[in-house]
Amino acid sequence: MTEERRRSPFSAFIGTEMEELREGYARVGLTLEPRHTNPNGVMHGGVITTMMDSALGAALGALRGEAARRDPHATVEMNASFLSGARPGDRIVVEGRVIRMGKTIAFGEAEARRNGDRLIAKGRLTFAIRNRDE
Amino acid sequence: MTGPEALAAEHPASPFVELIGGRLEEWREGYVRMSLTLEEHHTNPNGVMHGGVVTTLMDEALGGVIASVRGLETMFAAPHATVEMNASFLAAVRPGDRIVVEARVLRLGRRVAFGEAEARRDDGEMVAKGRMTFVIMDGGAA
Repeated sequence: MTEERRRSPFSAFIGTEMEELREGYARVGLTLEPRHTNPNGVMHGGVITTMMDSALGAALGALRGEAARRDPHATVEMNASFLSGARPGDRIVVEGRVIRMGKTIAFGEAEARRNGDRLIAKGRLTFAIRNRDE
Repeated sequence: MTGPEALAAEHPASPFVELIGGRLEEWREGYVRMSLTLEEHHTNPNGVMHGGVVTTLMDEALGGVIASVRGLETMFAAPHATVEMNASFLAAVRPGDRIVVEARVLRLGRRVAFGEAEARRDDGEMVAKGRMTFVIMDGGAA
């Protein structure tokens, strides 16, 4: 139910799958296809930023539970380093972890790996948590 | 030739950007503008634009600007690739809203290029700001 509720239309559109979701942690996967590439035929950076944002948003949602539905959180900052590329056929897995959650702000980090091994991108994200009571 | 179709025919677009529906509006040396009209499939679970949409367009626009300065032949011989991206998400975008992304190069060196991008909603509100660093690959050895 939570998974269904938190499903992101954009993630579904580009073809990512939620592999694991628990409080403060999410893992999403995608097998790279030609439609995910840039003009050089390798993975577009936007695929990774999308997966990082999705993973962290879901990890934080799982941690916040009901509160996340009442008062949604939104990404305010993202920072990503692209360490290596990926090609069609490669399996990309992104893990997102919440590293601190406050009342109005939450911090998280994400790592992307290629074919279960090589670290290809690292990200840091900051979320603002809406507080309707205030 | 004018219009988006002619622009798209002359300039390299990413399959990923075509997939999500980003349109090239203007391409000249040192400046690229793109646009996208937000639809339901571009949203996150809260019903507003997924951050991945605008980061994709900022990355694409800046990659295009760098290509416009370097020249397409040079770019294909020695591609450039994003190594760092930093984005601030300033305001929400809803289905039906159109966003316009503009990018410009701050510095183009031999091995590294720096640039920035801005995304605005139709009403003029800035919705995202990005800073990116690209590495220019060594094409000589290839």
